[in-house]
Amino acid sequence: MNIKEYILSGIVESYVLGLANAEDAAEFERMSAAHIEVRQAREEFELLLEKRSLENSVAPPRNIRSKIFSELQIESDRYLDENRNISTIQVEEAKSPAPVVKMNWLKWLAAASVILLLGSTALNFYFFNRYKHYSAQYDQLVARSAELAKNEQALRTSLQEYQNSLSHIRDTNMAVVRMAGSSVPTSPDPTSAATVYWDKKSKDVYLLVNNMPAPSSDLQYQLWAIVDGKPVDAGVFDMKEGVIKMKNIPRAQAFAITLEKKGGSASPTMEQMYVLGRV
Amino acid sequence: MATTTTYTEKELIALLKQRDEKAFSYLYDNYSGALYSIIIQILENTELASDVLQEVFINIWRKIDTYDAAKGRLYTWMLNISRNASIDQLRSKNYQNSQKNQSIPENVDVFGGSSMMSVDSIGLKKMLEKLKMEQRVLIELAYFKGYTHEEIAEMEDIPLGTVKTRIRNALIQLRTLLQ
Repeated sequence: MNIKEYILSGIVESYVLGLANAEDAAEFERMSAAHIEVRQAREEFELLLEKRSLENSVAPPRNIRSKIFSELQIESDRYLDENRNISTIQVEEAKSPAPVVKMNWLKWLAAASVILLLGSTALNFYFFNRYKHYSAQYDQLVARSAELAKNEQALRTSLQEYQNSLSHIRDTNMAVVRMAGSSVPTSPDPTSAATVYWDKKSKDVYLLVNNMPAPSSDLQYQLWAIVDGKPVDAGVFDMKEGVIKMKNIPRAQAFAITLEKKGGSASPTMEQMYVLGRV
Repeated sequence: MATTTTYTEKELIALLKQRDEKAFSYLYDNYSGALYSIIIQILENTELASDVLQEVFINIWRKIDTYDAAKGRLYTWMLNISRNASIDQLRSKNYQNSQKNQSIPENVDVFGGSSMMSVDSIGLKKMLEKLKMEQRVLIELAYFKGYTHEEIAEMEDIPLGTVKTRIRNALIQLRTLLQ
């Protein structure tokens, strides 16, 4: 079979339309590589087929195009990522003519970004206001907490004082010396009363003011221990609730309180003796 | 669609191999109709044809590196991708089911004109009308149904060599009709 016969055998059409079997197709490829006439005949039929096909085009549904291109956008990005290391020049060439579809995509992205930014700003403003509000509330709570802690400390201190007083009163080693205004004929206030708690072991002296008139600011009460008929200074004290610790007194037969100048006196002013009690 | 740029086949192929989207847009705008036409002629179902067209263009994009200009023109390559994809679809369960759902008799008489979509008036099929019945059957079975020569020989109960010769003769005839 010569070339002309080969060309007219129908192999050209068969090959182009994909109807030739593998063996015939391989032979045709060899023949077209070797003979320009075969190649020309093939191209001629291809062009004819293409021309007629284009004339008989059927427009596909419009949405197909965007479906394909959104799919390809993903593929394109992947392709560019994969090839970036191989050739940066190639990447730039492939990227530079920004396609219509990509532009639209970018526009949407830009619009979405603006919306997100506006939303974000509004949220920031909202959250900043919330923050200010809660911050102020927090400061108030801290202040209140500090105040409560201070009150608690004060309560704790006074509770401690009461507990101390109570423990002295309960203590069985404690000698209780009740001093009364009624025991002093010359007492400026016969209703006065005070109690000495005297620890028999440690000889510590504690004083509880039951009822004494408040002195003027330049005067102070002074406790005296009467030892063998002589007064011994047991300390001055200010009017306060609870038990007051006085000076240690090793030995005494009685206790008395006089009103003296502030800071106390070396010897008691007998006319100002308010209370007296015997041990 | 208003692409004013035109490319030579060489330029277009070079750009496609670089995954140039503008070139691909051009390709779609110029060839999607022709390819959709052949897909419809095979599947006779516009919905499935749309799916296949989509698949075809994505495959063109992915496989452009395997295109060899020495073996034929770009359009020929794309046409064959389209035909193969359509025939794959034709043989898929999906297609068989869709045909059943449409209550079309299973063995559609391909020449009875009872196709779901009238495609006889377009493209190659229109040309087939002008062929002799015998040739028409062979082209229909081989090109539009995708049967191999061996399968056709068995179906039609004719020798393989005869199938090949008749198909070639039918194609030569078809070519004259195209001109």
